[in-house]
Amino acid sequence: MKELEAFKQIENYFNDQLSPEELTLFKERLKTDPDFAEYYRQYQQIDGTLRFYSRRKALKEEIHTIHRQMEAVPEEALLTERKVITPFGDKQKRKIFWNQHYATIAVAASVAILTVFGTLMSIDVWRSMGKQQNARYTALRREVEKIKNSQRAIAKDISGVSNPRAARPVPANFSGTGFAISSDGYLVTSYHVVKDADSVFIENRAGQRYRVKNIYRDQAHDLAILKIDDAGFSSFGSLPYAFKSELSDLGERVYTLGFPREDMVFGEGSVSSRTGFEGDTTSYQISIPLNPGNSGGPLLDSQGNLIGVISGQQLDQQGASFAVKSDYLKQLVEQLSQDSLEAPIKLSRRNYLAGASRPEQLKKIKDYVFIVKVYNN
Amino acid sequence: MPNVVYFSEEALLAGIRRDDGTAVAYLYKQHYPMVLHFVLSNNGTEDEAKDIYQEAIILFIEKIRDESLELNCLIKTYLYSVCRRLWLKRLALKSRFGGAVSESDSFVDVADDIDDLVEREATFTKMAEALTLVGEPCKTLLEDFYIQDLSMQAITEKFGYTNADNTKNQKYKCLLRLKKLFFNLYKTEVERE
Repeated sequence: MKELEAFKQIENYFNDQLSPEELTLFKERLKTDPDFAEYYRQYQQIDGTLRFYSRRKALKEEIHTIHRQMEAVPEEALLTERKVITPFGDKQKRKIFWNQHYATIAVAASVAILTVFGTLMSIDVWRSMGKQQNARYTALRREVEKIKNSQRAIAKDISGVSNPRAARPVPANFSGTGFAISSDGYLVTSYHVVKDADSVFIENRAGQRYRVKNIYRDQAHDLAILKIDDAGFSSFGSLPYAFKSELSDLGERVYTLGFPREDMVFGEGSVSSRTGFEGDTTSYQISIPLNPGNSGGPLLDSQGNLIGVISGQQLDQQGASFAVKSDYLKQLVEQLSQDSLEAPIKLSRRNYLAGASRPEQLKKIKDYVFIVKVYNN
Repeated sequence: MPNVVYFSEEALLAGIRRDDGTAVAYLYKQHYPMVLHFVLSNNGTEDEAKDIYQEAIILFIEKIRDESLELNCLIKTYLYSVCRRLWLKRLALKSRFGGAVSESDSFVDVADDIDDLVEREATFTKMAEALTLVGEPCKTLLEDFYIQDLSMQAITEKFGYTNADNTKNQKYKCLLRLKKLFFNLYKTEVERE
């Protein structure tokens, strides 16, 4: 009952229905009586909550009404909209489908694109790797530096070669080395030196130039036989070296002469293997340092027997050069003699070099080693 | 309902404070499509959109009316932010999409308002519960007095009491019972937590 009385008083207080005396008493009691203060607090809370509750309930109803009103209108609009059927199906459905799946679609599309380009790229890389493997073996024909040569030609012009008819050496496109195999004007060089040649000239250390007319090619063994066809040529005389048919032994001392530059260069080493590049049985591996331009040079052993023709070297390995075995040169000559030529080539059989010292041998050989100049346009 | 266009947000807020039904309806209709789109594009349904939008709107209007909201942004941004938070909470409850949503608008931090909203909602539910528990005729009497705003005289006549004082006494009794029930509910809530 005490509580009820208190509530009555508190409500009257809030409704301003207390007389001034009652008001003083009320405030006094609020300060002194803790129970009364607690009732005051509770009244405030429950009254506030009830008011809040009633307001919110009213607002909720209002909102519901608004929503129903709002829905009533767009429902019709939606109905008319849904009747529209585009050629691509229901627009609404498509939109929802897209919203739900666009992430997956995007991922799938990127994966597809990545796969396509990744595949293309890896194929490309794989191909270029294949090319690199091919390039490990390099043929040693020399691409003549055009600029250097043309400069030299200009210098000659200035220094007063006044006669325009004087034979002016036109710079060659490629050069290699060749050597005589018979006294009547047959030489041998590498096939790759003279491939796609328009015209070929040979030149010895003394500066004599001969024109070569007929070329017999053997691509399989990388060999080419040249025949001098020049009015100024009569004969080489007898050749100082002989051709060896047997295989040379491992470790045998060998040497070569060649034209990696304008002058003749001597190179020495030994037979490192009786097979060539990637187990090629038609050539030797030799340990002579070689340069572009050495191709087609003669490979001789210490006795002065010709045992091979220089062909190329392995790029990724130090000091691995290759020379075609002389046996295959002999086979080629024999075939040519039988099939294509009017008179057979007579390979020299006698060796004039055996027993001579190395410089002596070289002196005899050097006149039979030529620079092969190749022109093509 | 006259077709009033509110040209400025100030005017709209003033209308809401005035308890203007047109203003409330205008506000409600203006921003509903945005929230609907947001919820639909984040794995929600139209009903869910309606629920959270109404919660947000009610909080907003209440706060505007009792002056406890300091609005530093557009009404649209505020409503979007509240709806966004509410929707994130729902998604977390559903625990299907880990609470990542695709944003369709800018938003502001409304964490405090959300706490407020939850508290108000809880109070509302508890009061409704308490009112049910208090039983007739107390429920109707209190509702008539607080919600229908009927006068003591009208209530006296309606319930057939002899005089207004009797009605008042009855009302106090009901209020005390309601208070007890309500605080009990409150207490159990606290204990549960």
